[in-house]
Amino acid sequence: MVRTVSTAETEPANYGWVIQAQGLRVRAGRRMAVDGLDLSMDTGVHGLLGPNGAGKTTLIRSIATVLRPAAGSLTLLGQTLGGRMDLRGLRRQIGYLPQEFGFYRQFTMREFIEYIAWLKEMPTAEIPGAVQRAIDRVGLTDRADHRMKTLSGGMVRRAGIAQAIVNDPQILLLDEPTAGLDPDQRLQFRALLRELGTDTCVLVSTHLVEDVAAACTDVVLINAGRLIFQGVPADLAAAAGDKTGDGDSAAERGYSAIMRRHREKEA
Amino acid sequence: MNDHITGAMLDQYSTGGGTAVWAVEAHLERCALCRERLSAAVAKRSPATTALVARVQAALAGEVIRSPRMPARRLPGWVCRWAPPELWPWLTMTMLVLAAALGLDLVDSTRVVPSLVLLVAPVAPLLGVAAAWSGGLDTAHELVVASPRAGLNLVLRRTLVVLLVVVPALAAAGWLAGVSAAAWLLPCLAFTAGALALGELIGLRRAAGVLALAWTVGVITPSMLSARIPLLLEPVSLPYWAGLVAVIAVALVARRDAFTGWRSDKWFVR
Amino acid sequence: MRRIARGDQRAFDELYRRTSPWLAVRLRRRCGDDDVVAEVMQETYLAVWRAAAAFAGASVGGSAVGWLWTIAARRLIDAFRRRARDAQAPLSALLAPAASAAEDVVLDAELGDVMGAALGQVAPELRQVLQAMVLDGLTVRETAVLLGVPEGTVKTRARRARIALREALS
Repeated sequence: MVRTVSTAETEPANYGWVIQAQGLRVRAGRRMAVDGLDLSMDTGVHGLLGPNGAGKTTLIRSIATVLRPAAGSLTLLGQTLGGRMDLRGLRRQIGYLPQEFGFYRQFTMREFIEYIAWLKEMPTAEIPGAVQRAIDRVGLTDRADHRMKTLSGGMVRRAGIAQAIVNDPQILLLDEPTAGLDPDQRLQFRALLRELGTDTCVLVSTHLVEDVAAACTDVVLINAGRLIFQGVPADLAAAAGDKTGDGDSAAERGYSAIMRRHREKEA
Repeated sequence: MNDHITGAMLDQYSTGGGTAVWAVEAHLERCALCRERLSAAVAKRSPATTALVARVQAALAGEVIRSPRMPARRLPGWVCRWAPPELWPWLTMTMLVLAAALGLDLVDSTRVVPSLVLLVAPVAPLLGVAAAWSGGLDTAHELVVASPRAGLNLVLRRTLVVLLVVVPALAAAGWLAGVSAAAWLLPCLAFTAGALALGELIGLRRAAGVLALAWTVGVITPSMLSARIPLLLEPVSLPYWAGLVAVIAVALVARRDAFTGWRSDKWFVR
Repeated sequence: MRRIARGDQRAFDELYRRTSPWLAVRLRRRCGDDDVVAEVMQETYLAVWRAAAAFAGASVGGSAVGWLWTIAARRLIDAFRRRARDAQAPLSALLAPAASAAEDVVLDAELGDVMGAALGQVAPELRQVLQAMVLDGLTVRETAVLLGVPEGTVKTRARRARIALREALS
């Protein structure tokens, strides 16, 4: 359809990194879950690894502009978050799947994703097409009009991914997206991740090292709120050296090697 | 252009060449007649396209029969946008509380104690208002709060739905119990606005809880014990309530950024 | 559309008959691989069939088939992304951008297609970007996927195209 192109759209991008955190400190409850984190991320799929309580969810929530940082700076798409700023324009470019994905059980999947699309201020005429496209991309086409409460855990998770991608965001935040997916669905999900990574900045937080090694272009390890490793999956595997340590795969061995070294250094 | 595309141009367009492509394509989007003529041109001049169309049609024929279709919508779109279904259980609970208050009033026909409906009325909407914007009561709260549309407008929209349900119910209960609506309407609005304004500071669920508790302990209990209508609900206090509503409304608008959900975790109600 | 929503397959066939040649021609002008075009068309019409009730309800805007093009264009972008993911060559590279011959430019001007004539004088890669963004309604990111170039290049070409157009039209 013919449309007008605004001047702002064709302005050259004035930022180097899509997501940039400097000295970020974010509180969660009583403790400082993210404690002096420096991180830069560009287009591609970034896997976020770390033990429980490392601050992964807090980091994702602060990038989703849900949590305000206590200190440090966070810059998304060239805009530094701070003070009294209008977050609406930025939020339209973000897709977010929380770890505890809450939804309206009485809604059908299509109604729920349409509601989320409305919350994301998508133009009304585009919503039905975008919702169908999101549902098709996650492979839930035959369950589109079933109520959310009738869906299994893995399907609910995939519906969560669908609502995150419905507005084709530039920043996609997925917190534990593969929880509850069977191996076949995980393969499909990895293919979807690679497709999304061609022009979106995707941040996937997960416990499964295998997911990260298979689908991610970049691996980020954090512990106790700080960055301890960032590099391509090959570097992660190489970090194990020649030791046959704990872990069934090269990536897992690399992960435990790095964690062990970090703990030794801290001690 | 107001007139249609010439046959020659259509022929050229259909085979992939062609001039004036911009105008042709823009026109074709609007004009069904020229699309028909394009179909004819394609049939004549572009066997590759015709084959493609036939191939997709065959593939579709099989899929369409097997494919699940969307059933007709249960609710019109605007209903879903105004009243998310999570509000309904809490509104139902409010109705039950009101019914209980009404029942007790009707039993106590000699008016030993002031009407329970009157006493409960100002805080009746608070449960629904809290449910409109709080992590514990709204299951999708995290997503709502992270969305572009989060803000005072959305909160007010949901609050309006709560009021539209609760206020008529209160009026009906009041009429049955012999309480005039003028007595409780302004306090009711004041409490609703006050909960929203206080919610900007400490989170809506806490604010609603604090206000409901304060009213129960400070006004309802003494009033029941002393068997007198509290001063705050006497007609003489009404102008003060009206002034309070105005002040709260201004404060609410002044700090409306609080509802866009970007807060430090201390006050974030999960 | 309402008839399709109720399950009237003949109405759906009618929609297909009326719109598929137009859609096929338009898609083939943007993608050189007929298999991909077939896949995109199949996905588009299936989406229409499956979600007909949703499309009937929402306002589809002034253009009668514009919404159909929007669905098809987005599915085309998804197909291109899948190819990029699998590290295959972008499909638009298979099409040579048509350079307008001088006579074509004159013909355009005679037809009163001022825009087309002006565009004819603009370099082909700039014209491609303008066509993708304005005529097809794609965003900068989607145009980058379609043409297989970085986003920065798309923006630069769009700016240059705007300047060139202004010059050509004046």
